[in-house]
Amino acid sequence: MNKEFKILAKPYIVWLFLLAILPIFVMIMLSFMFSEGLTFEESFFTFNQFTLLGESSTLEAFKNSVVFATLTTVISFVLGYFVAYNVFKSKFKNKFLILTLFILPMWSNLLLRTEALGNLMENNNILSDLLAGIGITLSIGIKGTPLAVIIGLVFTYLPFMILPIYTALEKIDYSLEEAALDLGLTNMQKFWKVIFPLSLKGVATGSILVFLPSMSGFAIPEILGSGNILLIGNVIEQSFKIMDYNLGSLLAIVILFFILGALYIVSKVDKEGETLL
Amino acid sequence: MTNYPVATLQEYGYKDYTVLKKIWKVTSIILVVLIVIMLYISVIMLAIQSVNSSSSVTSFGQFTFKWYGEMFSIRSLNSAIRNTFITSIVATLLATVLGTLIAVGLYSFEKKTRQKLMLFNNIPLLNADIVTGVSLMLVFSLLLPIFPYIFGPTTLILAHLFFTLPYVILSVLPKLKETDPNLMDAALDLGVGPYRALLKVIVPAILAGIFSGMLLAFTMSIDDFVISYYTTGNGFDNLSIWIYGSIGRKSLNPAVYAFSTLLTLMTMGMMLAYQFLMKRGKKHETF
Repeated sequence: MNKEFKILAKPYIVWLFLLAILPIFVMIMLSFMFSEGLTFEESFFTFNQFTLLGESSTLEAFKNSVVFATLTTVISFVLGYFVAYNVFKSKFKNKFLILTLFILPMWSNLLLRTEALGNLMENNNILSDLLAGIGITLSIGIKGTPLAVIIGLVFTYLPFMILPIYTALEKIDYSLEEAALDLGLTNMQKFWKVIFPLSLKGVATGSILVFLPSMSGFAIPEILGSGNILLIGNVIEQSFKIMDYNLGSLLAIVILFFILGALYIVSKVDKEGETLL
Repeated sequence: MTNYPVATLQEYGYKDYTVLKKIWKVTSIILVVLIVIMLYISVIMLAIQSVNSSSSVTSFGQFTFKWYGEMFSIRSLNSAIRNTFITSIVATLLATVLGTLIAVGLYSFEKKTRQKLMLFNNIPLLNADIVTGVSLMLVFSLLLPIFPYIFGPTTLILAHLFFTLPYVILSVLPKLKETDPNLMDAALDLGVGPYRALLKVIVPAILAGIFSGMLLAFTMSIDDFVISYYTTGNGFDNLSIWIYGSIGRKSLNPAVYAFSTLLTLMTMGMMLAYQFLMKRGKKHETF
């Protein structure tokens, strides 16, 4: 392409610097200070936030975040790989319809879907009311428990696991499978030695796309956990709400470390981020 | 003639898995269907709640369409819907045009530089919503002394532009790589200026990428809650913020279920129509 066009991307580099890099420095600065919101007149240098970081409630939130996100990722991986592989193997080759099927639920508002799921997890809900009409009693009543939050996270983020894995599977050259069978591998061996390793790129992307939002989100744990379960996102949200920008910034910086790790993985497996879509 | 014993297939080590395979196949199909239902259960619940005459979410009264009629008569909901569409449409259009230009710009860099720049481009994409939201709020707050009333539609659209641009860039770049590198030179040889060539030759070649980027950007923008929550100003709520507030007050109006269901049905209809038209188009080509 014409070298002259380089100028088109230059403003974007400035834009990214101003909106993505600069705030990181502001947050690092804020996490070493005591200030009231963003007014710096009476601010001073302190390590106070770091002692708060060691407090049991914050540590608990961190532990919850990592545990919940890991569980969500593992469950989504098992279910997502299963679905992606079966769709890939089926004779149903209309890719557009398949993608639509998994993306469509994402088009209704996330909060509404979570709230609807939460209603379903109450002891009394519409579904049990309707089922009682035909003589079936059913009550789940798990709202407010860790299980409810994990179910909510899996239901919400599963499509983000299915789509990259499906894309990766689709890119595998069919002649490789034929070669594997020609060389005498059974179907099972073919899967583990040929298909699975080649789909790992999709698994890596999918896992990142599930892990990060489930770790840092605050709406799903708040609605489905009925306020009993705090993840790190909830603590950040509360800190900014009570104008404690310092603790909030420090926690955001901690989350950023996880994200840098994810960026590093993406830069290794997928140089230009093509599986991210 | 001696009757030699004839070896059966089993004796050669052949194991008959046909039955097992069939069982496995049926189980797989059932499980996949169950998982798809799982993904749709909340949407189905919303649909049930939208035709429930009682505004309670625990019992089903009678079948009704009254919430569909009330949808547009609730002022706060109405303005939230309007704000959502204004923000998303403006941000998506800006992101599509600017993102395409930026992608062309990025593509003109050498491969090494481009890969480094793409790493930066992926930051908004991978960053946790809450970190992006807080970051943008901090930057916009730094502008407060100069523009005291900046928080509102302006910041909301800028924020949406910030997180939708990477999606457009990521879907345009692969298409640019697929285009013939000689196209541009040919156009220049034929005497048009580089920007005219870009518009007349390159853009038509990458149109599919631009459209899919636009669709992605719109999807991300219309459903965003966390980033909007931090970057909007008083009185300019989008639908997500309105819903979050209502859930907090435990006063969610069922009309919003009706709106959501209507939107889902419309998207579904549009997708099916598109599919149908594509099929028909293909059939005509074979004649």
